[in-house]
Amino acid sequence: MIGQLEYATTLKYNFPNPPTVSTLKELQIPQRFIKLSLASMQSVKGRYLQIQSENLPTPIIAGDHSEIEEPIPMNISSVSARLMPLKPLQDETPIIAVDVSSVRLGETDVGILCAVRGAIVWSVQRKYGYLRIGPFPFHITEENSREVMSLLRFYRFFPSGLGSPRLEDMQVRLCNLVERWLQMSICSSSYGSIILWDGSLTAGTTDSPLTLIRRILEEAKNRLNTVLAFSKVTGIRVLGRRMTDLVLKYPPPCLFKMDELPHSTSGSLRLLGNVYIAKLAWGLSAFRLDIDRRVREEEGLRALRRLLGNDILYQGYPETLRLAHILSTFTASEVIGIQRFVAQRYNLRIVVRPSVRRTLFGPFGTRFEN
Amino acid sequence: MRLYKKAGNTLQILSFPSEDVEKGSYLLIEDLRAEKSMIAQVVDIQFANVPGVMEEFLREISAEDSMEGEDFDPLDVSSHILYIQDARILVCKIHGTLENGVLRFDGSWLPSRTHSRVRRLSVKRLVEMADVGRQLPIHIGETMDGSRLTIDASALDGKLNIITGKKGTGKSHFSKLLVLGLIDYGATVVVLDLNGEYVNLGLARDGSRNRYHERIMVLKPRENFKVALSQIDLSIILRILIHSLDLPGSSAREFRRIWRFLKEKGRLTLHDLGEAIKNWNCNVHVRDALYSRYHALLRSELFTDNLAEAVFLERLLGGMKRGGALIVDLSDTSPSDRRIVVEYMLGKIQEMLSQWRVRAVFLFAEEAHLYLRETYWDDIITRMRHFGLFTTFITNQPNTIRENIYRQADNIFLFNFVNDHDLEAISRAARTDAETVISIVRDLPPHHCLILGEAVKDFPIVVKVRPIDVQTMGHTRLFFDVERLSKAPRALINGSKALSR
Repeated sequence: MIGQLEYATTLKYNFPNPPTVSTLKELQIPQRFIKLSLASMQSVKGRYLQIQSENLPTPIIAGDHSEIEEPIPMNISSVSARLMPLKPLQDETPIIAVDVSSVRLGETDVGILCAVRGAIVWSVQRKYGYLRIGPFPFHITEENSREVMSLLRFYRFFPSGLGSPRLEDMQVRLCNLVERWLQMSICSSSYGSIILWDGSLTAGTTDSPLTLIRRILEEAKNRLNTVLAFSKVTGIRVLGRRMTDLVLKYPPPCLFKMDELPHSTSGSLRLLGNVYIAKLAWGLSAFRLDIDRRVREEEGLRALRRLLGNDILYQGYPETLRLAHILSTFTASEVIGIQRFVAQRYNLRIVVRPSVRRTLFGPFGTRFEN
Repeated sequence: MRLYKKAGNTLQILSFPSEDVEKGSYLLIEDLRAEKSMIAQVVDIQFANVPGVMEEFLREISAEDSMEGEDFDPLDVSSHILYIQDARILVCKIHGTLENGVLRFDGSWLPSRTHSRVRRLSVKRLVEMADVGRQLPIHIGETMDGSRLTIDASALDGKLNIITGKKGTGKSHFSKLLVLGLIDYGATVVVLDLNGEYVNLGLARDGSRNRYHERIMVLKPRENFKVALSQIDLSIILRILIHSLDLPGSSAREFRRIWRFLKEKGRLTLHDLGEAIKNWNCNVHVRDALYSRYHALLRSELFTDNLAEAVFLERLLGGMKRGGALIVDLSDTSPSDRRIVVEYMLGKIQEMLSQWRVRAVFLFAEEAHLYLRETYWDDIITRMRHFGLFTTFITNQPNTIRENIYRQADNIFLFNFVNDHDLEAISRAARTDAETVISIVRDLPPHHCLILGEAVKDFPIVVKVRPIDVQTMGHTRLFFDVERLSKAPRALINGSKALSR
């Protein structure tokens, strides 16, 4: 008799005691999510897992892809910027950052196998703590993708009007599901904190439904939290030049407010935040920063000053958010480890799939594959 | 375990931490399609070059240094990740091939990476296959997998052996074990005991007589080891004068005449020898040279005119036909007297062997460089071997044994060394490759020995040497013994501790 895997899922996770963010202790792990992971993996049993022969998969970071896929539409000529110098404000405001990443482990004959992991990092009096959640493996097939969508819709993380996404996009959807859930949990369980997101406050996309993002921001505002969303890549240009490049000559810390960006476009996109270019430290890095529009500007700026006073900045990027990114992303050895886990637990046989391009073209045009 | 690479006679095998393999273990690489197996020994264990490990560790270090945290991992995937990060590469040396149950010393074929199965080969099974230690077994100790290891006494017969290792690793203990093992099979053993470590071989640890007591004879120069000149052949006394006391050739010729004169007259005594030298009609320098050597012989107190106190080696060794050991205790003997004694012993043994008065002698020589003349080394390993003198050198200075001796050694018993110069010296052993020797010997714990050569049919085997119930006497005399430590002034000790704090 083959033993059936049964995991008793934890309903409540006890956070490792960060006193000023003690409300995070109430953070709940959605049992349905873990069950979905386990249920999806049942369909993988005894199958072959094809992995890439040459390259280990590149992790997908929640938020990163959306910036590339859905840039801010705007009329460049109408944009003007306002320089705002900043002065750090040191108090004991907790800084909390969240990031999620996923990785494709391989393909089966009926679907794709991926893993998702999230990380929450907090800083209180410059002491850092973290919670890593996952990794959760998922075997996404045409059959079980409906269950995944139903979960997404259950949490209103996916617009109800849209049909099921392509199988290839489901990994991104899952990654976003975890990220939104973590953001929601943090915003509704912490108080008076600065919450850092990786990405922007642009809503109305498949991964960022307007109602959901509004609900999360509303929850944060009600509990006197301020959400600051940092984008590492931005397409905002003024007079044809990248805005992040234009601010490099100004002494940090400073902020440029993009005053006349439209709140919405002819499409479904909505900018739920005021958009800034933040140059927070010396160096070559400036970032797009979105602050909730419904937070008063002074409050938003004060939150940024608190971030400057209470967190370390590395190349102008908040350390808390940097650590969340580092802790969530997958290294090559972790990918091999997870592949071993699924191979052992689910009797999966791993086969190496040769590169079609390399087979067809040899070294010609494939040298960058290595 | 999976076969990963082969280069020359080196294999690399990928392994995980749960697979119980250590340096010195043997592996069997079974090629299921070729229906033959390769036998390889693990000589080094390294971390596998797992992609992303550096990145992972950097992440962990930065997290450990600056923050505390937890992982919520309900599926326990992390354990698999950690397992992968600890993957290891076993560097192995090929030692043979097993085909249809027959062992061949051939490693020229290449097993399949995909169809091969790698598993640990127990030393017990290996020694069974290689027929190690079956005929005249000497129980040496336990192998790394806990099986009993015996070597064949006949593997030491007619052979040149070396026991070496740094101080305190158990060389002398092992040598005693071999001595007793040889005695058990009726062998005649002579031990040149530099530090008086073998003198109590006939006593158990509790001081009572053990079963070897009657077979152990201890000779101590000046005390119970004296010889009469009349017993000595001219060739032996000339060897002593020339090689131990550096008598020039012209003086040796005069001595030969004096000796023959005295022998003809039946007056071969110390007194008459002295008188003859004094009155011999020869060059004054020759006389002085002979007279100084004569006094050196007198001072050694090895020689006597009293036949009652003289030792007859022929009788002693002849009486050991059922096995026994003659221990020559050189512990309180000066370097020049030591050379005289050893020259006499070796000359006498050679004489007895050449006359077939003794069948063969197993000679155990501790730190032989301290008393063996330069030309003797080659003599022992080439000429005297054919007479039936089979030597075992024991030393903690491997560079005192010349390279050609290592190359001709049939068995080498290696204990721990960490010094690179020592390791380089022992790596010259021709019985195996330098990498195996250096890598394994460096990590040997005390009382563990790597056996190379004929005794283990050229399969290097690590063994934990078993204890023996004899008074070892091999311990270093210490000044700060327990009694002195207990009497040490407390105030002085406490004061030093306080200062160090």
